[in-house]
Amino acid sequence: MEWYWAFAFLLGWVICFMALGVPVAFAFIATNFIAVYTFTDFDANALIQVADNSTQLISRFTLGPVPMFILMGSLFFHTGLALKVFDGLDAIFGRLPGRLCYLTVAGGSIFSTLTGSSMANTAMLGSLMVPEMRRRGYSKQMSMGPILGTGGLAMIIPPSALGVLLAAIAEIDVGRLLVAGLLPGLTLALLYASMITFQLWRYPGSAPAYDVERMSIGARLMLVTTNILPMGLVVFMVIGFIVLGIATPTEAAACGVLGVFIVAIGFRALSVRAVSTSLEATVKVGAMVFLIIMNSTVFSQMLAYSGASKGLIEWVTSYELHRFAILFMMFCVLILLGMFMDATSMMLITVPIFFPLAGAMGFDLVWYGLFVLITIEMAGTTPPFGLLLYVMLGVAPKGTTLIDVARAAFPFLVCDAILILILVAWPNLALWLPSLM
Amino acid sequence: MQLLSTIHIWLINALKFISSIIVLAIFVLITLDVLLPLVGVQPWDGTLGVVEYGLLWFTVLAAPWLARIKGHVFIDAVAEMLPPGAKKVTSKIAYLVAITGSLMLAYFSWLLVVESFVDENIDERSIELMLWWLYAPMPVCFVLVAIEFLRFLVGIDDMYGSRTDVKEGM
Repeated sequence: MEWYWAFAFLLGWVICFMALGVPVAFAFIATNFIAVYTFTDFDANALIQVADNSTQLISRFTLGPVPMFILMGSLFFHTGLALKVFDGLDAIFGRLPGRLCYLTVAGGSIFSTLTGSSMANTAMLGSLMVPEMRRRGYSKQMSMGPILGTGGLAMIIPPSALGVLLAAIAEIDVGRLLVAGLLPGLTLALLYASMITFQLWRYPGSAPAYDVERMSIGARLMLVTTNILPMGLVVFMVIGFIVLGIATPTEAAACGVLGVFIVAIGFRALSVRAVSTSLEATVKVGAMVFLIIMNSTVFSQMLAYSGASKGLIEWVTSYELHRFAILFMMFCVLILLGMFMDATSMMLITVPIFFPLAGAMGFDLVWYGLFVLITIEMAGTTPPFGLLLYVMLGVAPKGTTLIDVARAAFPFLVCDAILILILVAWPNLALWLPSLM
Repeated sequence: MQLLSTIHIWLINALKFISSIIVLAIFVLITLDVLLPLVGVQPWDGTLGVVEYGLLWFTVLAAPWLARIKGHVFIDAVAEMLPPGAKKVTSKIAYLVAITGSLMLAYFSWLLVVESFVDENIDERSIELMLWWLYAPMPVCFVLVAIEFLRFLVGIDDMYGSRTDVKEGM
């Protein structure tokens, strides 16, 4: 079979099953069996190999950080530590105009370094901040936009559970990809804050000022010391341990969970209920994602075995297009897929095709991995089906429409695009920290 | 029938409970692996291998429970545009695909269990583990998953809810 037919055959089946509404994990399972039947002439041993190979990827130590990061984030939310961080930040911002927007960006950035889950971030910030912002007379645009933007930071700022998955599937260094996201993530948070300042200047009535209870500098410092600084322990136990080479990403993730346990015990916030709820949430999200990626190895192998991956690379490189033109095409494909597909499924379909191509075009794969993560984050807030839009819609006040949410997200999508351009111009923004490891 | 249903639900929840315990055990094992050398104690050689098995086990054991709570992610963007009659047909096809895929994976993983058990295959990781342990939960769990989708197929329950229910993920 010619490579393009094999390519269309494999992608066609998986997309057709997904479009029918087959759960993503089972769409891959079914496609793998059909592909093996077709490409190996009904070889029974090859069918057994499908079951065998499906166990390969998820029984790797490098994927250990995924459930650990999810557990860390769940504990952080279920023990109430997240609210304490918010109280501390709330004290810092005082009477600043648009303070709740800045509070969202600052809080979201800290949550990102403590959770690694975009969905959880958006849901948490949305349910916490939107009602308060609306009560204070903030426009819909100003109350939802910063949350949608900041919610996605968790995909980039380490620890990123999605980053671990991407690195494992693409077979690049997990630690380097995680650390590469730190500076671009903080830059993005700054871009978001600048966008908020611009919007406040352009539409002063969109975030009216209001009186805040005055607090002495001593009291503020105390709140910051008690509520925010202890979280530094958790951040250090994850990011610090990886950068300093004290622990592997999997070990650092487990240490991060330990850090949350220690901080929660310090705040007397740890309970059996919080632990069991967090474990259940970890099983729910972790097993769901792992079951999807179980079959990615087989799918990638089928793409390679059928000659589809190699044929595509040779075909694309034969046109002698500029590598950034190809990068732009990959960007468009990811955004398009993100309109109707979740992040994990997008990754599974595109990684086996895009990463070899990016390697052949001379891109640093850690840099490219970060590019993919930012694009996936953008895709999550792209209408009509970006999942973060629906998460926000689920926690937004009654009467909010999808158009309201999408409109609020747009300025922050522009910030994401600016970050990509910055990374294209200065790749070292991403690659400098990993080069120290 | 009622008794069977009760046993079935109990089994699914028990597997989910074991899955949660495995996650906790993974955390404890890795943490000990990092902390013990700091106090001069040699950590257990088996951590790496056992954690790797644990990652697979926690996933597979939770799969039937995930199906029961409609936790497997799916895309309904296309189906939502269809008229109710066509939507019903596509959902039935989707359930059938999921049932077939689950049963095939259950069957072929069963063959793997038998083959590796009979041949006494050893999996050399950080410690030597019996290879059939790796595949052991797959046949049972994927049959249970197929039963869950069968429930959807015969109309006992419906997997497709509102998209705004999607609140958890990465």
